[in-house]
Amino acid sequence: MTATTQTPSAPTPSPVLTFLKRPLVVALILIAALLLLGEALSPGFASGQQILRLLIVAALLGIVAAGQNLVILGGREGIDLSVGGVISLSAIIAGNVMNGADSAILPAVIVCMAAGALIGLFNGLGVTLLRIPPLVMTLGMLGVLQGLLVVVRNGIPSGLAAPGLSRFVTQPLLLGLPGIIWLWVAIGLLMAFMLTRTVYGHRIYAIGSNEQAAHMAGVPVRRMRVSLFMLSGVFASITGICLIGYSGSSFANVGEQYMLASIIAVVFGGTPLSGGKGGYTGTMAGAVLLVILQGILTTVHIDESGRQMVFGATLLLLMLFYGRGRAMRG
Amino acid sequence: MSKIELRGVSKAYGATLALRRGDLSIDAGEVHVLIGSNGSGKSTLCKVLAGSVRPDGGEILIDGKPVTITGPRSARDHGIGIFYQELSLAGHRTVAENICLPDLPATAAGFVDRAALETRAARYIALFDTVSGDGFSADTTVENLRADQRQLVEIMKALATEAPVLIFDEPTSALDRAQVDRFFEILRDLKKQGRSIIFISHRMDEIFAIGDRVTVIRDGETVGTEKISDTNPAAVIRMMVGGQDELAAASSAPPAVAASGRPIALALNGLSGKNFANVSFEVAKGEILGFGGLHGQGQSAVLRAIFGVNPVASGEIMLNGTPFQARNPRDAIRRGCAYVSGDRGRDGVISGRPILENVTPIHYLRQKLKLASPSALAERVKPALEALHTKFGGLSHPINSLSGGNQQKIVIARWLIDRPDVLLLDDPTKGIDLSAKADLFSLIRKLAAEGMGIVLYSSEDAELLNNADRILVFNGGQVRRELTGADRTRYNLYQAAYEAA
Amino acid sequence: MTAATISPKPGGLKRLVERYPFLPALLIALVLLALNGFYQPRSVSFIGLTGLVKTYLALMLLAVAQTYVVYAGDIDLSVGAIVSLVNVVIVVMMEKMGGSGFSVVAALCVGLLTGLACGIVNGMVVAALRLQAIVATFATSIFFTGLALYVMPVAGTPAPAAFWRTYGGRFFEIPFVFYAAVVLALVLYLLARTRLSTQLLAVGDDAQAAFQSGLPVTAIRIKGYALCGVFAALAAFCITGDTASGDPLVGGKMTLFSVAAVVLGGSALSGGFGTVVGSIIGALIIGLINSLVFFVGTPSEWQNLVQGLAILVALMAGVLVGRRARA
Repeated sequence: MTATTQTPSAPTPSPVLTFLKRPLVVALILIAALLLLGEALSPGFASGQQILRLLIVAALLGIVAAGQNLVILGGREGIDLSVGGVISLSAIIAGNVMNGADSAILPAVIVCMAAGALIGLFNGLGVTLLRIPPLVMTLGMLGVLQGLLVVVRNGIPSGLAAPGLSRFVTQPLLLGLPGIIWLWVAIGLLMAFMLTRTVYGHRIYAIGSNEQAAHMAGVPVRRMRVSLFMLSGVFASITGICLIGYSGSSFANVGEQYMLASIIAVVFGGTPLSGGKGGYTGTMAGAVLLVILQGILTTVHIDESGRQMVFGATLLLLMLFYGRGRAMRG
Repeated sequence: MSKIELRGVSKAYGATLALRRGDLSIDAGEVHVLIGSNGSGKSTLCKVLAGSVRPDGGEILIDGKPVTITGPRSARDHGIGIFYQELSLAGHRTVAENICLPDLPATAAGFVDRAALETRAARYIALFDTVSGDGFSADTTVENLRADQRQLVEIMKALATEAPVLIFDEPTSALDRAQVDRFFEILRDLKKQGRSIIFISHRMDEIFAIGDRVTVIRDGETVGTEKISDTNPAAVIRMMVGGQDELAAASSAPPAVAASGRPIALALNGLSGKNFANVSFEVAKGEILGFGGLHGQGQSAVLRAIFGVNPVASGEIMLNGTPFQARNPRDAIRRGCAYVSGDRGRDGVISGRPILENVTPIHYLRQKLKLASPSALAERVKPALEALHTKFGGLSHPINSLSGGNQQKIVIARWLIDRPDVLLLDDPTKGIDLSAKADLFSLIRKLAAEGMGIVLYSSEDAELLNNADRILVFNGGQVRRELTGADRTRYNLYQAAYEAA
Repeated sequence: MTAATISPKPGGLKRLVERYPFLPALLIALVLLALNGFYQPRSVSFIGLTGLVKTYLALMLLAVAQTYVVYAGDIDLSVGAIVSLVNVVIVVMMEKMGGSGFSVVAALCVGLLTGLACGIVNGMVVAALRLQAIVATFATSIFFTGLALYVMPVAGTPAPAAFWRTYGGRFFEIPFVFYAAVVLALVLYLLARTRLSTQLLAVGDDAQAAFQSGLPVTAIRIKGYALCGVFAALAAFCITGDTASGDPLVGGKMTLFSVAAVVLGGSALSGGFGTVVGSIIGALIIGLINSLVFFVGTPSEWQNLVQGLAILVALMAGVLVGRRARA
């Protein structure tokens, strides 16, 4: 039932509780708690240097999660499983175009972003024109990209990051922070502006929460959706480029780990997979949260098996803090 | 002793109090009507009884004994069956499976007993044999049925529970006259068997045709119960609206706008498409053209085709004298056409989003905006909302925080920032309360007076008779009759609607 | 039957596909089979087909497993991890118990229980705790993988000969896998006739409506996941029979293929519509594509790409044909 009467006498939850239940606040509290835990388990974990290192890793995840975030916000079961493939592909393309030369950074960026956009375009067209469910379309695309990687890898060497790019990702650029952090902050500001202050942003939410109503109100639903997938491809390609800057050279399937991690970062940031609500600020916190959790698990001395079990169980536990589905009985 | 009694039942959704104090007492062998404007809490009360909503307080007594209903299954075990307003059908399952779904007959080994299932379903399908229409059979999948047929399946499903207490929450909204008549015959039979029936409807004539007693709910509180034989529609409406003034729309005289000589805003010539054929008419600027007839006779299909939602097979449309063939709603909006759907949940409300974003999409499109500055937009949005006397807390509040009537006002306000030339209204008052209806029609008449061409389809005859300058009566996808001037009477409207093609 | 049951004839094809949603998939599978036979006549021989079934029986079972949760509109991204876990559990058990016939049976029982337990965990997490299925089952998959690594840290422990010789062997001149396939067909036929199948599909259609109708939605969804876990365990048995060893990561790659097989088979990921037969055919399509790509002589580095493209095209074709036929 949607039609209900507003009455002032209804009990209002305390503002403090409402504040504490906001996903962003939840994520920030959890981040602080995990940092304290990490410091307790292994002194030095929460040192400035360590946190900076974690932030760089979080930025890599956060940037690809921006695209994932947009696709999910757009609703209709929007999800992009192909980001892992795009990242791997972009890393290897970037490595080869640059081949260690600073002068080739710009062409590498352009080529990679174009490739990402093109893959997103295919995803978007499949989802809109052919009306293939996004999960299926991007899953199929992932298979294609993985195959493409084998071909590319056999044909060319894995490539080398330009020193300029490596400096950008790993060395301080401004105020002691590396360029990638600034890039991430810029993306964060841009996303926030786009989602709240532009018509495009409002339309993303509109198609995400009621596609039919958006269509009837003149929103170009298909074009919007295609553009979201393209943006996702572009953001994934940026992560791919930065990744090769981070590791120096690309190796097999570097992007695979980002596929579901990007989705979890979005969910931990308070954007439900059903779309139409949420935002990127939360996703940024979600990415940091996930990276810190992984960081803690690598610092403590347990087996790989124990690490995985603790990681899986902790993810489940953390999910309990976020929007659980509605109870059947209201 | 009452068969069933509810005392002081309350329910809040977050900060919204849906039901403040619901009292209800139903006897065995009566049809008890529950009435109240939308959002008054009727459905919530029924769902509490049916177990699908958990009450915050109050008690339920069956045969004088207090019971706790823990869920829909528990309600069924207590002998309560329900027809849900929003239906509770599985689209890909067959009619027979849906009828038996709550309690699939099984063999000893745990397999579905197909024979028993079909026999049981056939019993209820046979009840509506004569009125269920083409394409209705036990093995049809529900998604292939028309809206009225689905509603019949939900009725059969409720009947199949064979529960002593049956709740029908707006069971007739999509049914045609013959189907309603058959349904009422069945209800009278059930009454004779001593069953208790709770019946919700917005149609006053139905309430007085079938009810024994009526209970009125207002703002989540039971106001009172009357015997139908001791009351009349006017008295019931007074109870529903409480202290509010008599509503203007119900009694105002039909407007008398002379349309002749004005320029034509919208003209259709032999338009055909899915569910309608060869429809021609003209709407002058400043005129309100009514679409009448039984539900689902092509009125909505014509309006949606003009707006570019559904394709047009043949024929032509002229808007302000130039050919107009909208490829999609976006195209139609750009060229000055507006459409308001009665199904606001599906076609109108962008749920969960702020009121501001729900008012601005048309403005974005028509002004080709790229940036959305809240303060600049608020300047534009506020007058539009005020024109409809919309009650809202703030522009940043989510639209879901409003009542149904106010949500529909928000949806309509979209079209008031950049005025269209033609406004298509597709049963715009479906399920909204009386005062919101009054606000809406006074605005519609004002827009017409300012020169807008308006097409109004309404499933409520009174709305057409009170507001339309001319009425086209639809039957079987075609215009059967045009009522103008003094011909616009309830009698003529009925007659034209039912007349054989 | 009453007069009301005489319905107008909708298109014959539409009715057919509505009734047998796997028909488009069957068509694709037959075309692929013909192409396989064209490029490599031996592939459609008895021995060739035995090999195909032997290799892809695991994926078929996993696709069936996935189908039961997809029926209800859920998804299980942990099926691959369950396969890995069950694989290492039974291999370790058989080895510890000496590899006798009894140890095999005992290990298989424990394996089934392991699959069941994993399924119930997934069901509790998704249906009872109401977490989002995609992310929650991904989290459980990490957990199950951790467990598998705990049971067997590195791949390589061999399965006893008694086990894999049976799986790859013949009885009365008929390969074991065909008996398995027949038993599977029978089990699936019976399962399709249970109340649970109809209830799962009804939940997938509209969970709220099913709940309001009085169906125990949470319990039904948990049962769906439990069934999924059991079939994932069966898939693990086949993998173990095929590879004859334990590997804590063996199933990882299979998860997404199981989802693809379900979609190829004409089931709707949104729930409420589909068949297990379709999913089996879907798994077969993946197998046939892989072998065809090999038979036409694709250079090895191009094989993955061609397979990926062919599966993508088949997915699109499946979704499109299914919808066109039903529209």
